[in-house]
Parts: sequence; structure tokens; C-alpha cells
Amino acid sequence: MRHKGISCSALGCIAGLTTALAVARAHAQPVDPFDPDAAGGPVPPAVPTTPGAASTTSPPKQGAGEGELTPEELAEIERATGADAGTLRDAGRGGGLGDSGSGKAPLPVPVPAGAAAFLPDISVVLGAALAAFSTEEPLQAGGHDPSSSGFNLQQVELSLGKSVDPYFRFDANLVFTLEGVEVEEAYATTLDLPAKLQLRAGQLLTRFGRINATHPHGWDFADQPFFWSKVWGSDGNRGLGAELSVLLPLPWYVEILGSTTEAAGEGTARSFYGAEDLGVRSPIDFENLLAVKQFFDLSHDWSLLFGVSAANGPNPSGRHSRTDVFGTDLYLKYRPITRQSFTVVSLQSEWMLRRRQVPDDVLVDVGGYAQLFYRFEQRWGAALRYEYATATQNRSGARVVDPLDPSHAADRHRASAALTFWPTEFSRIRLQGSADVPRWLERPTWAGFLQLETVTGSHGAHAF
Amino acid sequence: MIQKLFVALTVALAALLAPALARAEVKVVTTVPTLASLAKAIGGSKIKVVSLSLPTQDPHFVDAKPSLALELSQADLLLVVGQGLESGWLPALLTGARNAGIQAGAHGHLDCSGRVRVLDVSQNADRSQGDVHPDGNPHYLFDPRAVGAVAEGIARRLGELDPAEAAFFQARLEKFQSRLGEARAAVEGRLARLRGVPVIGYHKSWPYLADWLGVELVDYVEPKPGIPPTPAHVARLLATARKRNVRAILQESYYPEESSALVAEKSGAALVVLPSGADFEGGQSYFAYLEALTQKLESIRP
Repeated sequence: MRHKGISCSALGCIAGLTTALAVARAHAQPVDPFDPDAAGGPVPPAVPTTPGAASTTSPPKQGAGEGELTPEELAEIERATGADAGTLRDAGRGGGLGDSGSGKAPLPVPVPAGAAAFLPDISVVLGAALAAFSTEEPLQAGGHDPSSSGFNLQQVELSLGKSVDPYFRFDANLVFTLEGVEVEEAYATTLDLPAKLQLRAGQLLTRFGRINATHPHGWDFADQPFFWSKVWGSDGNRGLGAELSVLLPLPWYVEILGSTTEAAGEGTARSFYGAEDLGVRSPIDFENLLAVKQFFDLSHDWSLLFGVSAANGPNPSGRHSRTDVFGTDLYLKYRPITRQSFTVVSLQSEWMLRRRQVPDDVLVDVGGYAQLFYRFEQRWGAALRYEYATATQNRSGARVVDPLDPSHAADRHRASAALTFWPTEFSRIRLQGSADVPRWLERPTWAGFLQLETVTGSHGAHAF
Repeated sequence: MIQKLFVALTVALAALLAPALARAEVKVVTTVPTLASLAKAIGGSKIKVVSLSLPTQDPHFVDAKPSLALELSQADLLLVVGQGLESGWLPALLTGARNAGIQAGAHGHLDCSGRVRVLDVSQNADRSQGDVHPDGNPHYLFDPRAVGAVAEGIARRLGELDPAEAAFFQARLEKFQSRLGEARAAVEGRLARLRGVPVIGYHKSWPYLADWLGVELVDYVEPKPGIPPTPAHVARLLATARKRNVRAILQESYYPEESSALVAEKSGAALVVLPSGADFEGGQSYFAYLEALTQKLESIRP
């Protein structure tokens, strides 16, 4: 009985709500400030409007009430008018438009269209840093990290992207270093799958968590969190593969994605096959990833992004050995847009748990970071980051020698602070200092970077 | 019991999902709020309109929030200002929206700049000259003549997307244009004394307004588009303001006022902070916005 009572009242609630909404809508209609007939605006007060304009009689309503058209009829109309639509459109661009009054109407200028319109958008990002470390062997393992005292070329990234056809767009990021060139990313993205599905295929950074899929250009610091280098490798988690994602039809943003990528690569899938590529013998010999991302518009000024991710794939320690990585990410951003302000305050934090099966045991470690960013002037921002990772433990909780990082036999902490100056949104100069405390070393390591980054070309828009 | 609960939950979920799935009216998404007010004036109750940005927000730097991608994923028509105004944020949202119907070039994508005479087209644009828009200045919505052309384009495209309501949109457009003609004449009369009056702009947002009202744009508070004022530039600007007897400094509300206020105070010019667009969320129609703009401009003493 109790259950029945609850379900009935729930139904009643919905019915009531629907009615209330309908009533509200019906009431809202007569007071439409956007109706050209509505009062207000710069019409001289004494002048009465022309009979035509002042008319309050409704124009013919073909889609309302009993005159409602069936979908078949609508399709018929669309077919019949479709032929004319093209000519209407063409006429709209070429002819003299815009002004019903005086003769000083702005005339449309034909937009020059050439083969250049089809060339990919190209941009080049330069990242270089002057670095100083208090040790000759810094523990900087990120591929783009400044990693030795002196000048470091972090990367020259060439980005290309454009629509391929109505169904795909193509994006690539080619990274040039002093050692050579690598195809960091090169993938196609579908534009026209049904049911809000989207497929990406090619060489791609996986969307595990928040920072992994981003590029150094989008980071608040000059180097990547050390646990990311430890779990995924120097270049972050990426590989040849495919990703399918879907936007759920809910009132808030919920995206679910799954991807399958190569499990091999010392710098890209380190906790899976990594450097020991045992090949693909079955579908589970890939890295498979599942992630859910949710976004909440808390207000105009506050936003929250929250995600959970899990990846599973083979590791080379045994015939059926698997590795799991679980992660959670949070990004809280305050950026006032309801008044004049350049302020941005954001809190970003990600944590991962890695679990590797090895013969007769399981190795577990945890790590992550939390960072606070504050843009206090139009061109200035400051950021603080704390990172932590545990030593590797076995099933019984004892510290063990990690086969991938035998020297990392204890916890590691690192704190960094960065001050960034943006001359424009196309360049930035960053000063960063950090204190690294790997407990297996006797002394902490100090580091200082002075980084310069420039962006030339039509750099693509950034994701949130 | 559990079965009934399950049924109730299913019904509740269906009720929640239904509004998201229903596509009764044309859903229009605009990048800036003035376009939203224009679309609503034409579409009335036959369309649902959402603006991706607020009038208090700099449309060059909108955060590509995933919630905006969600709006775009449900859109039938996207209205953009174009001329590169949205290139820093819209492309990422468009890809994320998974909506082929509103991609650039698609029928549900209307670049409103295609219907206006674009000013400041640069043959040899270079970013050493600041954040310039090589295809032309995107701030044309400050000119009611351009607004009329844009409204016509919106009505036409709405009619193509929803042919059953084409007559309705056309009738609303005609009323809108007739009212716009009157409003424009009224404003031109009230602001006729501004013709030839020297003014300074903060950003290069005012060439269309200057072209329409005949005010003379002497200089900008930004040394180059997108570059904040330096002390040396402000000093030069003050000298210019005094020498040319500049009467007003025009800026949008989303730019900082310190430098402009200083020049205004020391030169005797008026600091005129104009709303960058109609407050669509607050129910402000284009005509109410034009009136607000006019009242601000009326405070300028020639």
C-alpha cells in the first residue's frame, strides 16, 4: 500500500506539474515583449502607427488548432516549397537588401570563395622553456616537460583541422621536437550520426579524465602531473583506435563514451603492454575505456564539470594479467559574466587508482593532483598545484618494488606555483617553481622554469 | 509493489525526457543576445530561442561550456554574427553538438554577416596589428540598417525551415520592418546633432554606429584591437581628446572603465557605456534595446 501511495502521488505530481506548465505557458503568451507590436522602443510618442503595423489581428495560423497539419502534409509542403527554397536563398545573398527606408542601405558584398576555403585551418604552437633544477637527474617524465637545466624545446605543434565532407571532420596534431616528428593525434570525427552519437577514429588521445586529452597549450602549468607520466607514459594515454560517445537526452549535459585503443606504447600505454607489445590475439588485447562526463551550469558565473573514467587492458606480466585504472575528475570554475570582470577562479582535481595483476599478486597505487588557478588581471594569472602518489603496494598492503619504476619505493609529493602573463591570447610567458619531495631520495628537488608559448595561425577553439 | 514502483519511475522518466525529445517548434540558438531578440520578434510563439551569451559578456571570449553544446545539439537553426567574432569558442561547440543540420554551410546555419555591407575588410591583416578580423568588422548589429537586413534573412530562413509558418514569419517581418523604419527615423532625428561629433571608442566596435549616425571616430582606447591600454597610449589619447575636442568615449559594458574614465574626466568628454546587446533573457526586445542605446547616446553634448 505504501508503495502504491508513493507511486500515485508521484504520478499526481507530474500531472499537476504538466498542467501548471501548460497554464503558465498559456498565460505567458499574451505578454510577449518581442512582438513587433509590443510597446516600448524609440518610436516618437505622438505619432500613431500605421493601420497595418498597429493591427492586432493575428496573421493566418496554418499550424494551430483544428487546422493542424499532419506530418505527411508537412512533408508535402516541404517538397513543394523545397524547389523554391534554393532560389530564395540565392536571391537573398546577391540582391540589394536590408533597408526599407532611405537610400543609404548597406549592400551585401559578395564573399570571395576560392579553393583556399577548403584548406585545413593551420596553427603552429611553440613551447620553449629555460629550466633550472637542483639536481642533475630531475624526475621529469612528461614528453613536453622541461627536463634538464638549460634551454628546452618543449614542442612545436602543428595543428590541422577541417571538415572533410558533410559526415566527417579531420583533426591532426603533429609534434616536432629536436629529435623528430610524431603524429600525436590524427583522427576523423563524425558529424552526422543519429541519436547524438559521435565516433572518432584514428590516432587519438583518450578522454580519460580531464587533462589527458588536452595539449600543453591548454595547461595551467609548464609540465604535466607526474602521476600521469607514471601511469600512461611521457605522452599521455593515446593510441590508434576508435571512440564512440553519446549525449544523453537529459536536461543537463551527460556524455558517455567508450574507446578502444592499442594497448602498446612505452610513452602512451605504459601500464598496459607498454614497451612490450605482445600483439593483438583477441578483442580484449586492447585498452578499453569507459567514461561518464557531466556538466552542471550552477549559475551564469559558476560551472562544474565532473567525470569518472575506467580503463582496462592487458599487461605483459603474465598470460592473463590485466591492468585497471580508475579515475575521477572535477573542475569547478567561477567566471563572472553578468558584469564586467576578467576574474577567473578554477579548481581542478583528478585522482587515479591503478591496479595491476602480476603473477600471484596485485599491485596497487594511487595518485593525483589538485590545482587552483586565479586570473586576477586581464593579462595575469597565478596557479598553485599539489600532487601526490603513493608507493606501490601489493594485495596484503605491503610496499613492493614496482617493476616499471623500481626506484620509486615510497610516497612522492610535489608542489608547484606558476605566474602567467598573457600579452594576448596568442602568447604567454610563464614563471614556475616547484618543490619535489620523492621520499625515496634524501633531499627534495627544486625546479624553476621560464616558459614562452606562442600560437600562430587560426588556432582552433578550446573545449571547456 | 515493486512492479508498480517501476512503472511509476518509467512514467516519471518519460515525462522528464518528453520535453527534450519533442520537436514541435523550431529551436533557434544564437551566439549573441541581440540576434535572439531579433529571432523572437520574427518567430514569436512559433519558435524557441536561446542565446549562448549574455549582453554583459565579451562575445570574443565565451567559455565553450558543455551546456552550450547541449543547446546546439537540439537546435534547428543557429544564428551567428560571423566575421570571426565567435571563432575562439564556437567551432569546438559545433563539433561537440553532433548536429549536422547546423554545421557551417548547412541550411540550419545562418551567418548573418552575409547579409550586411561589411566594413574594415583587410586585404593584408596581420596579428602584429592586434586581434584583427581579416574578413571585416563583426560589430554590425549597432547599425539598425544592418539589423533590418539580418531580420529579413532570419525570416526567410525560418520560413524555409518551417514552411507551414512561412506566412506567419513574413507577416511578423513586415511589421518588424515597418516598426524598424519608424524607430530608426525617430533615433536619427534625436541623434542628428551627433553628426560630425568626434568620439573615441574603447575597442574597434563602433565603425557601423559611426557610419550610421555620422559620428567621427578619432581613436581607440585600446592601442590595437585586444591589447589593453598602456600609460603612454592613454597619454597620447588624452592629448588627442583635448586637441580634437572629443565629446564622448564609447565602450561596451564588458570592457574595464578605468582608462576611459580617466581620459573622459581630464578631457571633458562623456564616458558612454553602452549595452553590447539586447538583454534577451530579461525580455528586452530589439526596440527596447535601441531605445536604451539611444538614451545613452543622447547624453553626449556636442
